[in-house]
Amino acid sequence: MTKSLYGAQEASAIWVYLEQSQGQLGGVSLELLGKARELADGRGIPVVGVLLGDQVSDLAQEAIAAGADEVRVADDPLLRQYTTDGYAKVITEIILEGKPDILLLGATPDSRDLAGRIAVRLRTGLTADCTDLKLEEKSGLLIGEVSGFGGGVIAYIKCPDNRPQMATVRPGVFAVPEPDTARKGKVVNVPVKLTEKDIKVQVLEHVVGGGVDITKAEVLVAAGRGCQGDFTLANELASLLEGEVGWSRVPVDEGWVSRDGMIGQTGYVTRPKLAIVCGISGAFQFTVGVEKAETIVAINIDAEAPIFEAADYCIVDDMFNVLPPLIEAVKKARGGNGGR
Amino acid sequence: MRPLHIIACVKVVPKPEEVKVDTKTMTIERGNVRSEINPPDMNVLEMALTLKEQHGGKVTVVAMGPPLFEPYLRLALAMGADDAYLLSDRSFAAADTLATSYALAQGIRKIGDYDLILCGEESSDGATAQVPPGIAEWLDTSQITYAEDLEVLPDSKMVKAKRELAGGYEVIQVPLPCTASVKVGANEPRFMDMERKVWAEADGPVTVWAASDIDVEAEMIGLPGSPTIVDGLAQAESKARKREFLQGTPQEQAKALVERLRAYL
Amino acid sequence: MSQSVDSILLQDETWERVNKATGGAAAPCFQCGVCTAICPLGLVKDETINIRKMVRQAQLGLPGWADGLWECTTCLWCESRCPHEVDITKAILGLRQLAWKEREIPEGLPTVLWDIYFDGNTWGRPPSERPLWTKGITVKEFSPDDEILLYVGDDAAYDRRIQKVARALVSVLEAAGVTFGTLGEREPSCGDAARSMGHGEYAAEIIDTNARLFQEAGVKTVVTISPHSYDMFANQYPNLSGDFRPLHYSQYLLELIESERLKFENELPLKVTYHDPCYLSRRNGICDEPRQVLQSIPGLELLEMERSREDTLCCGGGGGRMWMETAAGERLSDLRIPEAAATGAEVVVTCCPYCLSCLEDSLNVIGKGKLQVMELAEVAHLALQSEAVASDAASGRS
Repeated sequence: MTKSLYGAQEASAIWVYLEQSQGQLGGVSLELLGKARELADGRGIPVVGVLLGDQVSDLAQEAIAAGADEVRVADDPLLRQYTTDGYAKVITEIILEGKPDILLLGATPDSRDLAGRIAVRLRTGLTADCTDLKLEEKSGLLIGEVSGFGGGVIAYIKCPDNRPQMATVRPGVFAVPEPDTARKGKVVNVPVKLTEKDIKVQVLEHVVGGGVDITKAEVLVAAGRGCQGDFTLANELASLLEGEVGWSRVPVDEGWVSRDGMIGQTGYVTRPKLAIVCGISGAFQFTVGVEKAETIVAINIDAEAPIFEAADYCIVDDMFNVLPPLIEAVKKARGGNGGR
Repeated sequence: MRPLHIIACVKVVPKPEEVKVDTKTMTIERGNVRSEINPPDMNVLEMALTLKEQHGGKVTVVAMGPPLFEPYLRLALAMGADDAYLLSDRSFAAADTLATSYALAQGIRKIGDYDLILCGEESSDGATAQVPPGIAEWLDTSQITYAEDLEVLPDSKMVKAKRELAGGYEVIQVPLPCTASVKVGANEPRFMDMERKVWAEADGPVTVWAASDIDVEAEMIGLPGSPTIVDGLAQAESKARKREFLQGTPQEQAKALVERLRAYL
Repeated sequence: MSQSVDSILLQDETWERVNKATGGAAAPCFQCGVCTAICPLGLVKDETINIRKMVRQAQLGLPGWADGLWECTTCLWCESRCPHEVDITKAILGLRQLAWKEREIPEGLPTVLWDIYFDGNTWGRPPSERPLWTKGITVKEFSPDDEILLYVGDDAAYDRRIQKVARALVSVLEAAGVTFGTLGEREPSCGDAARSMGHGEYAAEIIDTNARLFQEAGVKTVVTISPHSYDMFANQYPNLSGDFRPLHYSQYLLELIESERLKFENELPLKVTYHDPCYLSRRNGICDEPRQVLQSIPGLELLEMERSREDTLCCGGGGGRMWMETAAGERLSDLRIPEAAATGAEVVVTCCPYCLSCLEDSLNVIGKGKLQVMELAEVAHLALQSEAVASDAASGRS
């Protein structure tokens, strides 16, 4: 057995890696704190957040409000941008010092970049992209639920001997906890032993929060041939639902829009919670791009359009007849919430 | 700089839609399932071959798996790769990502003289995305994950790439040697050359290495070398759609729809 | 006034490569330019594609690619008028094969070939889904005792619209008491996609494998839905067993009618026009059979378009174009719909999945009143129904 750098006897606490970007904690980090809190409360173990960055100490309070008992902060100008070199070195030192039993990270590109590297450095097990986490009744071992084979198979993964038991979790799997600003916790500033020579990565460009990424949209309104190039209603509905607008291949071919929001086999594969598909016949090349949606609504003038086979709620009508009353109905329903 | 030597790591995976779980034995039924080269690994091959065209040099394909992988390595040769190594040994089997990345790293170390190691961002079966950063750590190379395009700068011995981030991207530059994971769909994989296919099938250099052929510690490969274990399996339920047709005037339909979509409003 | 001219050095080695790839097809060309002048793409583009130049390149051994190389639909119009009977298709496909070697090919095409390679069909769908078109009906596996093998093809198997054609054909065959089966999940892709995209080498491998598969399965008469599959089997495949007899379904239906196994007894008062697929009419001389099938339906009135039979106007789908993007406004089928409507017909009938798809797409965009597009098999099926009320039933397109 490949032995980890420290063993189960020395390990304790559930740690959560707190990913931050541009002065904000990533949503998934808060979600993980919430889940860690839930797992820890059952057993009376502490939850520790580990935060790296430059001038990020005030984020520690937010982590405590979300469930951390302690936050270890490594604050250094060399940690301003995520780099594999800098972050892997620093977090490894903090981990070897603190010896967590469990370490959770979000399954975001940078956290997966980091997790994969340090799992080997620590000679430990890493369970990727968990869709759920539990602690085993008797042993307290972390059980990570993952899906494989394109989602067809679910597996339960354990890491019995090596420490920390590492797992990454997809954003949106767990809920963001209600912040409890009355919570108290410890903030520990960790000395950072980093020099410029340690970081061989040059970040030439870093652009976040720019263009629309429809693959991350929770709500998608897609329009196709039926919109005849007029996306006004689709835009309005998407905006109301805080979602994005996408399209099938037809609008691209017709020159109404660019490829950026094209859904389908030769475009993007999306996994929104809600997809409203208007005026799209639903040929297979399109539906592969939305079939993972939690709920699909289809609006099409052709009762025999194949999209209806792939939808939960079906309306046979011209989208221009349906969308205006739908928009009104949504406004009315949201009006009570004061919007979000 | 000497000609570029690119290692392309590939994996042969079962076609995802055909895999079923035998819930009695709790194992994956692979019997009749067709295989394919892991889709992002096709993008890896295309990227490697394009870089070879740009800079000269060679592309070596490396895989770890059972003998059934061999025809697929020959496929990679038919696409234009120069050499292929298959790490194949019972003792490599049932490896998790720590043991897998270790074995691959040791195989690559033995091949030696590499500048760039390319892997697919993740495999369609395990989908952990952990092997590329794992290999980078074992071999102590720089790493770039989720690379969309890669530019080799031979004069400065660096590689530059655009990598996808949550809600954006960044462009980074790291020194060679580098291990990079390539996003699926980063390019369109070239079709193989049929004349080269004839050579690949007859004379293509495919070297099969057992565990004893490379420098690996027995307790660090396969099942013994895997800190994680599978504690149970279940078949995921496929999504059956409701297919409920809403009736009435558009206003009535809109109202009925909003009722059903309460959770999303 | 003197102009500087780029001079090109002709190389023996490249000439040999090009000559080999094109099979020497370009040799008889004397550059009259008729091909270029009459190419139907000139009807939808500012300029026709320069066929003459491509053939010249093939003659001289210059593999540089003219823009039109990938726009050609292999409709054969140019060849039908070529005074020296140059096999222009062969020259163009040969140049395309060389383009594959240089990897100077349109985006998206390698993906289709990989789909054929890994999945056995141009749609990239699992072979296990091939039989899904038979949902609700029973179609058995082919056995050598069957009169025919029904070769469904990738489009009729995987495209929901074309699946309806396959189902219609099955009912017609059953009505005629034909014993038939399909190869089910094992049905291979016919190779037309690879060939028309210009990958002659891959097409050759597919042909070789499939010809042997048909022989081993004991296939004699094979009836196809697509004229492109028919063309492959009839003109590109070797006749290994000696009695391999490919037919397009329009030919087979006529055989059934002539042998009185298929009878249309009910009136189907429908005004139709018939759009000849290039690969049936011009390429294989099959013009009468579909018409005779239509004319054997009582009450059906067949109105002809001007560009009919061997003079048919291509729908734009051949030559691998189904996998390439054709810009709006440059679609040949957009011209065909008004022509069909002008005959006064209610339905434009065709018998090719590409023609069907292109014509219906154009119809959706242009919208021509009550005009509909139907396959010959669908019209035959409609005519066989006991209560055939023309416009109602036609609009249901069962």
